[in-house]
Amino acid sequence: MSGDGLPAVSRSRWRREWLLPLVLAVATSSWMLAVEGRQGIGRDESQYFRAGERYWGWFESVWTNLRQGHPARAFTRSAVDATWEDNHEHPPLMKILFGVSWRLFHTCDCTGAKRALHPIPITGRHLTLPLFKRESSAFRFPAILLAGLGAALAYWLARRMLRPTPAAVAAVLSVAQPHYFFHAQISCFDAPITVMAALVALSYWKSLRSPRWGVLCGVFWGLALATKHNAWLFPVFLLAHYLWMRRGDVRRLRLPRVPLAFVSMATLGPLVLFILWPWLWHAPVRRTQAWVQRHTQHEHYNFEYLGRNWNLPPTDTSRKLLRVTFPFVSTLFTLPVTTMVLAAVGTAVFLRRRRGGGEVSSVLLDEQPAALRPSWLRPGADVDRSPGVFLAIHIAGPIALVALPSTPIFGGVKHFLPAMPFLCVLAGAGAAWLIDLACKLVTARRLRRALPLALAGLLCAPAVAETQRSHPDGLGHYNLLAGGFAGGASLGMNRQFWGYSALPMLPWMLARRPPSNRIYWHDVLHDALIMYSRDGRLPLGIGDVGVGEQVVAQSDLGIVILEKHFTVYEGLAWQAYGTTQPSSVYTHEGVPFVVGYERRKAQPEAIAP
Amino acid sequence: MGAIIVLLALVETVNAVVAPLRAPSDKDWAAAATLVRAEFKPGDLIVAAPAWADPVMRQKLGDLVPLPVAGRMDAARYGRIWEISQRGARATDTTGATVVATTQAGALAVRRWEKPAATVTFDFLAQWRQASMSVVNADGTEVPCAMGPDRLQCVRGASLGPELIEVDTTLRNGLAVDPVEGATLAIEFPAVPLGRELMVASGLHNVWLRKAGDGKVRMRVLADGRELGTALATSQSGWAGKGFDTSALAGRAAKVRFEITVDKALARHFGFAAEARNP
Repeated sequence: MSGDGLPAVSRSRWRREWLLPLVLAVATSSWMLAVEGRQGIGRDESQYFRAGERYWGWFESVWTNLRQGHPARAFTRSAVDATWEDNHEHPPLMKILFGVSWRLFHTCDCTGAKRALHPIPITGRHLTLPLFKRESSAFRFPAILLAGLGAALAYWLARRMLRPTPAAVAAVLSVAQPHYFFHAQISCFDAPITVMAALVALSYWKSLRSPRWGVLCGVFWGLALATKHNAWLFPVFLLAHYLWMRRGDVRRLRLPRVPLAFVSMATLGPLVLFILWPWLWHAPVRRTQAWVQRHTQHEHYNFEYLGRNWNLPPTDTSRKLLRVTFPFVSTLFTLPVTTMVLAAVGTAVFLRRRRGGGEVSSVLLDEQPAALRPSWLRPGADVDRSPGVFLAIHIAGPIALVALPSTPIFGGVKHFLPAMPFLCVLAGAGAAWLIDLACKLVTARRLRRALPLALAGLLCAPAVAETQRSHPDGLGHYNLLAGGFAGGASLGMNRQFWGYSALPMLPWMLARRPPSNRIYWHDVLHDALIMYSRDGRLPLGIGDVGVGEQVVAQSDLGIVILEKHFTVYEGLAWQAYGTTQPSSVYTHEGVPFVVGYERRKAQPEAIAP
Repeated sequence: MGAIIVLLALVETVNAVVAPLRAPSDKDWAAAATLVRAEFKPGDLIVAAPAWADPVMRQKLGDLVPLPVAGRMDAARYGRIWEISQRGARATDTTGATVVATTQAGALAVRRWEKPAATVTFDFLAQWRQASMSVVNADGTEVPCAMGPDRLQCVRGASLGPELIEVDTTLRNGLAVDPVEGATLAIEFPAVPLGRELMVASGLHNVWLRKAGDGKVRMRVLADGRELGTALATSQSGWAGKGFDTSALAGRAAKVRFEITVDKALARHFGFAAEARNP
């Protein structure tokens, strides 16, 4: 049976194709909802909270102006720019969703003392479905739901090539990755764009034999464009695969047909982006150029890798070579080892398939051409769709880009997360091989029936356990090969960024809040402090002496986020407070993440997660 | 192969559960601190291994690691080093030393290392007020600098004073100076009791300035007019130590001069520490 074949609808098919991915999605979102409260608010996330709420404010103004009989007023350039200039370096889709979710699901105490903490005018108590006690949770909800969809998409993607059980393994492994898990539960774009990568790739794959998916592919790519700029690269990966798949045409010096998916992407993609992004409306070309330039000429932030602080492109050959290793070594040390080994086995399975190894037919689903002749509506109908190459391009593409020495490495693993769903499909193929092997070895019928599920559980267990272990500090987690948190720190791998790790320090800081209220928050943005206050985790009026080296001396209590390039701030704290002895240290498995200093030092306290 | 994968999955799962329990606890650190405090003597050095555990060590024992010790040039002057180690790590400060005592404190090992301590005959950082400084222009004219309350102040914006500097993302105590293009900054200590070695370590402060500029800072070191050697600081050179052989001058008071030049002064904040000593 073809992966896209349509046998009669049956209960078991419904279970396989809809119930199982639904369960995976619900389980994923539930897991994240259960633990997101322990995740602090990072720099970028706090800005997306603010922008999301402001974007919602614009939609409110559309409605208000409409009611007042001035429907065009909200669409003037000044009205649009007043809102959409905020955080315009990133497209708006997720921020719109964050804002809408906040408006719908927060528990409103907005008209009280917290009214002034909102970036939009609060004219009255919001009528909401108060699902969340913390406002930040309401903002995060769309990203968490999308992560659930991501699990389902990974399953559906894997189902094009695998049977249900290994496809489910692929889906679980795509979520159970400490770094992905960190990003998936917060109001940022790195996990959403990973989900979009899977969505666009799946729709393209299906479009090769189904025209309606060709149309959808363009719409989905538009949504991806409106999510994050990684989407610019998706057509490159798809084109590479398409040319490979139709290499027969190329060999015969015949131009392959332009598939519907590409036509749709070229037309509907930009249109969807334009419709969703009001910032583009009044100057589409100039602002699109500005958006592209912002990311092609991005500055190099500081990032720790193998004991060095990288903040410029390397100039000498040895450092260039070392820099090139970054995404490969990072992958090697951050993915659960079992997942990687399964992916390696899965690679061997696909290689064997390519060489015509008959034994893989019990591992991979058949991929026979569905028609004799191609058409531009079904451009993959007459050929093998080369699933192995399809996966390989989607894995190697994002990683290769980050491997370029000139590419800034400021975000680490998050910049090639879009490779991970595809890598996990490979891991699913590895699991399929193992399950197949085990079933062949076992003769007892009952045991044979139970074996696939038992093995699937066993193969997912390390990834789930590692992910649970890593929370809430997934950025600092390294795998068994690296030696865990401590091993990663010893290897000089990046431990954290964005200042999210201040959350466990808040109770200590409140207990030690100085009478002067002069508090130094280091890398914790004021927007994050505002959200901590709105969430009830910090009192209103909590002090903040601001940012910069000069303000440390003005504070009586302060924290320093421990990143390699922030050492200078710990030195400022030593001088300001007259001691090298932190009063408090937040550690995860013994590895320090944040230190707290106070001018009148009391008995030091330890904080562990 | 299949069995190996199953075994790997089991091992990785068990490790994920067990490894966090094996990390040093606050109790372990408290016990280690008690052990060190019981035998600590003034002049001892306390270090953590691996170095990333240093903030946790300072939380427990920071009162015994004051700023001059925390920002030390190197560990040569310390004969006894207390190392609080985990996962079998060894601190670089213990290089050349021998373990004389090891006690386990839970997941931590408290080791006392001993080695012959270098005798410091002159600490240029501590004695910086003995220095005179001048700006030597390209035409040879020399403009002396004036001693201010906390720095030597010169023309063309140059100055010299003790600072806590960050070089290669490590904090160091040093004499800091902004070099001047087209001129030499000459720092002179008139009568330095030399030992067999003059150790100089230098580098560029701080991470943002190292990113912003790419100039090279050169320092020439002279004793009684004779060049002992040079040091070069770039954005990548880190905290580079150089030991100059002063055996021929050992036991005598000599005039030591540091001459600092730069090709491009933008965002160059140079720091150095130096000790005359007998290793």
